[in-house]
Amino acid sequence: MCYHARMRFRLPALRSMPAYQRQVCLFLLPYALGTLVLTVLPALATLVIAFTRYQAVSPPTWAGLENLQRALRSPYIRTVLHNSFFFLALAVPLRLLGALLLALLLQRRGRLFGLYRAAIYLPTVIPEAAYALIWTWILNPLYGPLNLVLRGLGLPAPAWLAEPWSARLSIVILSLFQIGEGFVVLLTGLQNIPRSYYEAAAVDGASGWQAFFRITLPLLAPWLLLLVLRDLIVSLQNTFAPSFIMTYGGPGFATTFLPLLVYELAFDVVDLGLASATLVLAWALIGLTALGIWNILSGLRRQE
Amino acid sequence: MIATLKRVLHWLTGFVLAAMFVLPLYWAVVASLRQPGLPPSPAIEWWPVAARWRNYAEIFEMVPLALYLRNSLVVVLFAVPLTLFTASWAGFALSQLPRPAQRRWLMASVVVLLVPSMSAWMFRYRILDWLGLLDTLGALIAPAAGASSPLFVLLYYWTCRRIPDEVYESARLDGANAWTIWQKIVSPLAWPTTAGVLVLAFLLYWSDFTSPVLYIYRPDLYTLPIGVQLLNQMDRTNFPLLMAGSVVMMLPAVVLFALTQRFFLHELSIGRLLEGE
Repeated sequence: MCYHARMRFRLPALRSMPAYQRQVCLFLLPYALGTLVLTVLPALATLVIAFTRYQAVSPPTWAGLENLQRALRSPYIRTVLHNSFFFLALAVPLRLLGALLLALLLQRRGRLFGLYRAAIYLPTVIPEAAYALIWTWILNPLYGPLNLVLRGLGLPAPAWLAEPWSARLSIVILSLFQIGEGFVVLLTGLQNIPRSYYEAAAVDGASGWQAFFRITLPLLAPWLLLLVLRDLIVSLQNTFAPSFIMTYGGPGFATTFLPLLVYELAFDVVDLGLASATLVLAWALIGLTALGIWNILSGLRRQE
Repeated sequence: MIATLKRVLHWLTGFVLAAMFVLPLYWAVVASLRQPGLPPSPAIEWWPVAARWRNYAEIFEMVPLALYLRNSLVVVLFAVPLTLFTASWAGFALSQLPRPAQRRWLMASVVVLLVPSMSAWMFRYRILDWLGLLDTLGALIAPAAGASSPLFVLLYYWTCRRIPDEVYESARLDGANAWTIWQKIVSPLAWPTTAGVLVLAFLLYWSDFTSPVLYIYRPDLYTLPIGVQLLNQMDRTNFPLLMAGSVVMMLPAVVLFALTQRFFLHELSIGRLLEGE
């Protein structure tokens, strides 16, 4: 109803627009339509279907909170949510910290450092299927290069993908090398801090650490916030290919994360209601986490 | 003296870090040239002992990799140019809207950028089915009709905003319409952005593992990432061949990245959202 009312309101407005503006709207059309049809509407449908019984054969029927309750009661789904939060709690801070340290260490100008920066970005552009297979080789417990190095150094050589805990850790580890995006964002952030701030701090006798905590960190806060928000979403999404290719969720369910679960529920079991409810539940939890981090980081910014 | 020492130490730290990020890829290349079935080496091989290039021919015989390669190329050949058109149109159009409308579209684009793609999987499947694109290469190309990613639109928007308003205004006074301005002014001036988006879009479609898993069922429409996964399913321990497949997949990505890495290290970053542009 409301939608049609708006259409009628908009169309005369379009007609009264200057010709140039009308042409400009035409240029926007593919983007607007494509995004609406392939991303926005499907995502919104998930929100609605979460509250219905829907298994794709017959039309959805209203189910209220039934799916959410089923999701919360299922030990399997709870394990997967647990795994996903384990992954996020470990991967997001480590990825961010890694990107920050690398940006601080490699921000210097010059050809050589330019080459280093390119090397840091390189794993990020590797296609995910190839990347996952490469890590199956690196992490091979018997003769993979990583364990050969560890044994050479006299360190313990874990069974990596063969044991639940080390398998979960493996997926975190391989995600730590694809941090090009955050690395570049923080490099930009560092470049945007005026040098005069550091000079003033040096005049006041501030140490390097003080300058870092009083100037660098607060001024990077908006960039860090952007990265946390994006990483909470992207890094979890990116576990799909590695857990599909390397372990298919195993051993046991140790490396089944949210994307693989949604894939199974929606495309194998075809219980779209339950799959949607799981997504809604997970995003509500992640959204709350993001909100908490937002508060902490904006507190950090106010200190400045 | 101490200053020089510090500098050398800085170089060395940088080198070690850079090496850590390249080493896994290098090991994959070395492993791809090993004789399959040979007893595993007890020490790390830093160099292929007797490079066996036949591994690369063998993977094309084990699975119809040439067919999958062709499918991947078809997807890229359609999706990348389409993305360049739709993204540059949208970015240019955004820069020409009145300010309040610009802000609204920017906000909406950022929100869409934050929508996790797995929440769209299930119903994108239905929609592709309705459109008759399911189980065709069209299912993989479809996102290109909508500029592939809001990020690409934002990149073009920032570029178009950098062109001074007077340029657009004088063109319009000369009677140019939006199409002429896009074609004669924006396209030539935005070529660095076009080069960058071209590479990003190529990587997006070339690497795409999820979409074929979700939307392609006919084996003759599989793309390269699925082909490599098939090799993996046939023999999970034949690492020389698996690594050869991985190298075939990553080689174009690495070469394109090497050619355009300058863009990656500043121009193509979402960090520009916060630079007040």
